[in-house]
Amino acid sequence: MKNLLLVMSNRDGYGFALRPQHIQRYREYANIFKEEEEERSYKWSYFIEQQQKSNHSSSSEEERRAKLQAEADELREETVSERVRQEDDSSDKNSDSDGSTKSYPGKEVQLSQQPEKKVQLSEEPENEVQRSEQPEKEVQLSEKPQKEVQLSEEPEKDLKLSEQPEKEVQLSEEPEKEVKLSEEPQKEVQASQIPGRETLLSKESDKEGQLLKETKARKVKSWSWTRPSLHVIENMMSSRVRNIKDLKDRHNTINGDHLPSIKKTVSSGGSTAVEINKELWIKETSDDNVDESTEESSVDCKLAPESFFPWKELEFLVHEGVPKDLRGEVWQAFVGVKTRRVERYYEGLLAEETNTEQSKEHNNSKAAPRKWKKQIEKDIPRTFPGHPALDERGRDSLRRVLVAYARHNPSVGYCQAMNFFAGLLLLLMPEENAFWTLVGILDDYFDGYYTEEMIESQVDQLVFEELIREKFPKLVNHLDYLGVQVAWISGPWFLSIFINMLPWESVLRVWDVVLFEGNRVMLFRTALALMELYGPALVTTKDAGDAITLLQSLAGSTFDSSQLVLTACMGYLAVTEARLLELREKHRPAVLVVVEERSKGGRIWKDSKGLASKLYSFKHDPGSLVKEKKVSEGDKSMLESHSSNLDDFLSGLSVDSEVDSLPDPQEHVISLFLLSLHCSAAFLNLMKVIHLMLDLCLKIHKYHPLVVWLKVELCRLMEEKRSAVLRAEELETALMEMVQQDNRRQLSAKVEQLEQEVADLRQVLADKKEQEAAMLKVLMRVEQEQKITEEARIGAEQDAAAQRYAVNVLQEKYEKAMASLGQMEQRVVMAESMLEATIQYQSGKAKALSSPRSVSSSVESPRRRIGLFGLGWRDRNKTRFLCNFGPITVDCNLPPISLTKTNQVMMILAPVNLAMRAKIRALCRKVETTKKRREEVMLGNSAPVAQEHTDLYRSDKESAWNSKSQLLAHKDKAM
Amino acid sequence: MGCSSSLPDRSTGRLGGLNVSESGGVADAKNLRVKLVLLGDSGVGKSCIVLRFVRGQFDPTSKVTIGASFLSQTIALQDSTTVKFEIWDTAGQERYAALAPLYYRGAAIAVIVYDITSPETFTKAQYWVKELQKHGSPDIVMALVANKADLHEKREVPTQDGIDYAEKNGMFFIETSAKTADNINQLFEEIGKRLPRPSST
Repeated sequence: MKNLLLVMSNRDGYGFALRPQHIQRYREYANIFKEEEEERSYKWSYFIEQQQKSNHSSSSEEERRAKLQAEADELREETVSERVRQEDDSSDKNSDSDGSTKSYPGKEVQLSQQPEKKVQLSEEPENEVQRSEQPEKEVQLSEKPQKEVQLSEEPEKDLKLSEQPEKEVQLSEEPEKEVKLSEEPQKEVQASQIPGRETLLSKESDKEGQLLKETKARKVKSWSWTRPSLHVIENMMSSRVRNIKDLKDRHNTINGDHLPSIKKTVSSGGSTAVEINKELWIKETSDDNVDESTEESSVDCKLAPESFFPWKELEFLVHEGVPKDLRGEVWQAFVGVKTRRVERYYEGLLAEETNTEQSKEHNNSKAAPRKWKKQIEKDIPRTFPGHPALDERGRDSLRRVLVAYARHNPSVGYCQAMNFFAGLLLLLMPEENAFWTLVGILDDYFDGYYTEEMIESQVDQLVFEELIREKFPKLVNHLDYLGVQVAWISGPWFLSIFINMLPWESVLRVWDVVLFEGNRVMLFRTALALMELYGPALVTTKDAGDAITLLQSLAGSTFDSSQLVLTACMGYLAVTEARLLELREKHRPAVLVVVEERSKGGRIWKDSKGLASKLYSFKHDPGSLVKEKKVSEGDKSMLESHSSNLDDFLSGLSVDSEVDSLPDPQEHVISLFLLSLHCSAAFLNLMKVIHLMLDLCLKIHKYHPLVVWLKVELCRLMEEKRSAVLRAEELETALMEMVQQDNRRQLSAKVEQLEQEVADLRQVLADKKEQEAAMLKVLMRVEQEQKITEEARIGAEQDAAAQRYAVNVLQEKYEKAMASLGQMEQRVVMAESMLEATIQYQSGKAKALSSPRSVSSSVESPRRRIGLFGLGWRDRNKTRFLCNFGPITVDCNLPPISLTKTNQVMMILAPVNLAMRAKIRALCRKVETTKKRREEVMLGNSAPVAQEHTDLYRSDKESAWNSKSQLLAHKDKAM
Repeated sequence: MGCSSSLPDRSTGRLGGLNVSESGGVADAKNLRVKLVLLGDSGVGKSCIVLRFVRGQFDPTSKVTIGASFLSQTIALQDSTTVKFEIWDTAGQERYAALAPLYYRGAAIAVIVYDITSPETFTKAQYWVKELQKHGSPDIVMALVANKADLHEKREVPTQDGIDYAEKNGMFFIETSAKTADNINQLFEEIGKRLPRPSST
């Protein structure tokens, strides 16, 4: 096994292929699995040890056995290591004898157990127990009346006495076995066990030669006893198996015809011992206690006081998983293989092949087996393809087990899925053990599941659908909405018992519990746990395909097997066998009707028919039922079909309303109301009919079973009516809730819409406000600037006024100056005339006497002329004078005051002028800067207002400029 | 159970997925979503056809399908519509026929497969056609597929028989080989073309 692992990294610890997308996750979990495994094997070995001690602490035999067990373990280890070596050897000479055992862990166990058989031989009590059990099976097969007595007597050891005659046959076989066993240990003692076994096998094949021609004798030694340490468990479970068998036999003898309500008919007959037994069983099954098997076991304990057994502890251990190396045997113990096994039965089945072939031409019923054979041949290479253990020999074993089962139970024959079960079992145990385990699983746990019609399988789907509706209404609502039916996915889960649906570790863990509990409860619990785990993810899917794909892939990656098993076992304690039985009873009729119609192939059954039309036909059915009944009273099948027909419609209440997932809640509402109304009316009708029939039957036939059956049927129907009424009420309340929810949803939708609108409006408002604020800011800024420009303008105007004033002053001064100039000119003229007069006078005098003084005065006079001339020139160029304040050459004759005055004016004017220029320049600059700012504002916020402002501002500026130029012009004029 | 998980969806034109219809189709003129069911005798290659179509793989030793398995695949047609096939691959053994209505109910397309080397499977295919005519939805599109066309030297069902039967029953007929991938995509494309289109209003 180990080297196989090394070779194939894409296979898991059990040699199964991993999907590529799961390899990574498997690796993550591989260590966890390993740790769990270690813990498990420790716990189990401790548990088994404890059991042995507590049960037979005083017995030295037990100690011996335990010692031998330890030896066996050692031996097994040796064998394993030896085998590894042998396998490494490419030329495997032993392969023939080693045969199918090569890569079977189960076979390793088998080898290790040979010494135990020694013990069995030496231990008489042990053998006695076995013998006492075997006859039971013999009897069951032959169905002798005595078995009732036998089965009613529980304490096994008493059987010996009461069954001596029967055991004769058995005993005659016994020596044979003892010989076999006595031979075996001898061979086992030899260093290499394999050759020993070879000889043994050949001897056996000699013995059974004629049986084994077909199957190549070398591999028939395929049975092994479980290790004695597990006998405690085995015995407990065996008693359970007997219980079940007992119950079944009762049914079979009392009602050979398969009435739907088998259980209740039993009460009408049978021995008292069986009655008690049965009541115990019913008590167990109907008990709503947490665990069926615990309850059951306590009963068993009473019946078999020799062993007090801690079921709770074992249950806990099973939930945590069975260790790999014990799994094969523990499973056998759980299924009760030892109790079930009938010596040579398996070989006998295989030997039938020859007979079949010989007699096939005159036996039509053998056509079916041939069909199965063909199907088996098709499926064998498609069972765990590529698994290292399923080589040529593994496939032969698989074929034999499947063929044997098909012959063992022809009502089932072969059904796809069994190939996987048998394959799995063959990986864990020898061939015949696998066969008996398969028999146990299929005949008891999955009775009616894989038959031609697959009725129980369909019933279980309806039950599961109801459960899931109850547990996960939201999820189912969503799936309904997507148009996904849960059964699409859960159907394959149940049918394959999760093989290929979950990772192997999880499959095996689920199987541990399934086999331990001995019923299908764990299937439901596991499926519910999967829905719980993956429901939240499923609710997010948007179409049917995605939902299914998601669920499939999520389930396929459920590597956390402990989480799964614990969720299943702890979370759904309310899902018990009793509950399931009840639900199955409820849903079975619906399936039966469909099956019947299919087989008849008559009336076309269409699902597309609306609920209303179904109800209509249903309403009118009871009437016709009465008529028909009168015509053919006592025809049970007829009655059955009709009553189950009715049941179909009743359960249609839950099924069809689910199937036709109505998109409109209103439609749903109406149909539901209709349904609940019609239900009670129809029931009343039916009641009447049944009463009528009851009377008729009593009068005419006094046919007891029928009456009983009718009574039972009546009770059942009444019960169903009650449940239907309850269901109707439930639906009604659900409906009200739905309506309310709908209203609420609408309202909340409206409120949401309105709220959305309000929010939108608020948003708009806020935006508007913001805009407004921005605009205001711009306006303020513009205003400020306006103010500034206004101020500037005012300043400029003031300046202009001041300048004007200054100009006026200057003008006045100028006029004064001109006036004084005029005066001065006048005075100059006067002075000139005076001077001329004086000159004339003096010349007159000089003529008389020329004096030097006159020369000097003549020199002086030109200067004056020049001065005068200069003045005249100056007078003529007034403007030029004003413009360039050049130095004035004034005659010294001019009065000094006037000269200084002009200068003074000039001096006053000059700074004023300068100041004005500076001011104008400053103004210009200011204007320039404001212009710039305005432009900035305009760029940033090109609102029309701003534009307006700029225009205004510009005009302001222009006016300022105008005023300035005016001022200048004015000044010019003034000058 | 050949296949219990699907590839990550390759579809480009995904739907809102909110419109669910019972007939398995979806009312979007450009993006169709259809439920397809594969029926036929055991071992004719139903799972292999699906695997070839969805994953482009062929495994001669595929596993037995228990119950049914689901895969989906989207293709684009020439007229730029996309079709998402939701494929239910059912178990072939006769008794599983009891469960088949669960899967073909509401399917828009049924692909009925037989094996050209086995006349028995052809008979079985005819059984399925009748079953669907009786119990399937009335407007179901049916295709008759003759698989294992690569084994022509072992052929026992003449092509003409298939063609005739398909014609008589208003079906679409094609011979395929999942092994060589012959006609597999064509099969689904042809089906896509034949789908009733929702009137685009």
